[in-house]
Amino acid sequence: MSVLKHAVAIAATTTVAIGVMATSALAQDKPLIISFNGPAGEAYIGKFIKGIKATAELNGYDIEVFENQFNQAEQDQQVQQVLAAGKKPDVFLWWPSDAVAGLGSLRALHKTGVPVLKINQLPNEQDKQFIFGYAGPDDRLRARNAGYMLRQAAAAKQARGEEGFNVIVLSYPHSYGGYGLSINAFNEAIEGSPLNIIGDIDEGFGQSNGYKGAAKLVAKVKDQGIDFVYGMDDAILTGGIKALEEAGFKMGEDIVAVGTVCNGDKQLIEEGKQYGTTLQSPLHEGQLAIKMATEYLETGTLENYLNFTPNPAVTLDNLETVALRGYDGALYGIDELCSGAWTGG
Amino acid sequence: MEAIMRLGRTFVPPWLERWTEKHSSPLVVFLVALFLAVFLYGIVTTDNFLNLFNLKTIIRDAALVGIMGIGLTFVTLSGNFFLLSMKETAALCIIAFAMGMSNGWGFELSLLATMGVAVGAGVLQGLLIGLGGNPIVVTLGAAGVFIGIASWWSDNLVVSFRRPNDAEWLGTGSFLGLPNITIAFILIAVLAEVVLRYTRFGRQVYLIGANRAAGKATGHENLPMAIKVCTIASVCSGFVAVAFAAQISSAQANYFSSEFGSSGDMTILVIATVMVGGNSIMGGYGSTLRTSLGAVFIAVIDNMMVLRGFNSGPRVLAVGLMIVFSIIVFSLAQKGSRAQE
Repeated sequence: MSVLKHAVAIAATTTVAIGVMATSALAQDKPLIISFNGPAGEAYIGKFIKGIKATAELNGYDIEVFENQFNQAEQDQQVQQVLAAGKKPDVFLWWPSDAVAGLGSLRALHKTGVPVLKINQLPNEQDKQFIFGYAGPDDRLRARNAGYMLRQAAAAKQARGEEGFNVIVLSYPHSYGGYGLSINAFNEAIEGSPLNIIGDIDEGFGQSNGYKGAAKLVAKVKDQGIDFVYGMDDAILTGGIKALEEAGFKMGEDIVAVGTVCNGDKQLIEEGKQYGTTLQSPLHEGQLAIKMATEYLETGTLENYLNFTPNPAVTLDNLETVALRGYDGALYGIDELCSGAWTGG
Repeated sequence: MEAIMRLGRTFVPPWLERWTEKHSSPLVVFLVALFLAVFLYGIVTTDNFLNLFNLKTIIRDAALVGIMGIGLTFVTLSGNFFLLSMKETAALCIIAFAMGMSNGWGFELSLLATMGVAVGAGVLQGLLIGLGGNPIVVTLGAAGVFIGIASWWSDNLVVSFRRPNDAEWLGTGSFLGLPNITIAFILIAVLAEVVLRYTRFGRQVYLIGANRAAGKATGHENLPMAIKVCTIASVCSGFVAVAFAAQISSAQANYFSSEFGSSGDMTILVIATVMVGGNSIMGGYGSTLRTSLGAVFIAVIDNMMVLRGFNSGPRVLAVGLMIVFSIIVFSLAQKGSRAQE
């Protein structure tokens, strides 16, 4: 009996040992992706990180994520630490905090010979040479869709014989790269329509700044009449809508508001206070990043240099039905795709 | 500086001079004069500045930062420098409040729970500072802990609670045309000033802030004082968090972490209100009234710049210059008063 016990014990130990060795050997063989991005504490980036981690696991990759607090100096330091540690992944994902200031770090990553995929911020003339492609949103498409939605609302107003087509813009900081792309695309979209921009405020990102900026802008242009609002993202617009309501405007009746990114408040669309938004999913963005990395690792190139996440328009009409198929094959509803207060029902 | 003061005195009626000599310092007179000068310049040259709507906008703009500034003033006056964790305390509190609301606890219970969190955060920091910890190091560490808990607790997501809800009256309601948050700012400012001027606790704050050794000799230790003032500051942060969550019916750990735009960093802005108000960074001198005026002054300048078409860059610069200016004025005034002695 004791011989049998010994035999079983030896067999079990040998099996475990072989298993551990095999697992560690397999683990070493797994391709590694290193991502440099902002903090998970920011809802959009939090969902992006979930997207890259889940998709990397699904595709059989190891992934390491280095988060910075929207601080390029911190991100530069992280790059130096990774390089000093001699880590050589198969792909770097590069979401710079500040694309211009972070150019030196991008160059350093490129010098290692590891391919770099840029995330979220469109490539510029300086960094194109250091990356093999781009995966992320298209600021222009997003803003253009917002412009088309406002144009649609203006046409309906015109058809009813009503007057007033003044637009205020609640902007990103003008120093932020996405501002120029957004405002130019928005202007192109409303060109030739009766819509007329009478004010633009760049208080900052988020609900709090949206509120404060809108309150001041309303004080400036109230006498001219405000009929439409374009928020460069829904978080800013959510705060802006509160300021407009406090100023006595009835949202949806006096003013038509359109935002983008779906990082604001779903209930505002349900209540008719916000006419619409443009879906931009961080989950989808994360999945797309891993898909592009996979394509590059398998083929040595990308079919398209720029790879955008889809940005469909969302209004009350399709709020509950709009869905996107993820790059993991699953179908996602809007509550899972969006990053704002979209799950509070 | 002296020349300016002399010039100023020639335009001041004797009764006003006697009043200011009795009740206030030359610095206060100078700050008020500066405030009035900027205000008058704004009236004359800026379109849409002087109307009731815009004035209400200014006070409302100053309210949240002002309330946090009032809380922080207690810490500064007591000689415990600053809490660098103001926005992180607010972040933790806003998640606590939204969690309560989204779980159907109702406004009162959620508020109570949030204030419990705020008191806990304040007591913890006050204890560590009172036991001899450097306020900067302690509160930097606490900031990391608080934002970490807030992010982990909320799973980095927006925590929302549907409208209508029983917190809306605070965030979006108004009384006699004034937003309730503005009214809360005014009430808190008055209450804080009364506490500082007319209570035993208020006098202890000044005493320990002005001379810690003398305070200790008379039986006033810094440990209980640090706990009390840090708790006041944290409760003010907690209240701001509740008011903001009530306004937009949602919360997120990074709502107060605006890294871009004219608002800049919330903690820095709160410190700016204390500094621009002319409170002594070393403690013992100043008032919450000064901080409230500092918050309004920053809001006035910012508002005026928006009305005149400036974007965020120059506005951030203006806030920075105001801090530097106030420090220079304060140190000049202190030199002057020492020379008089």
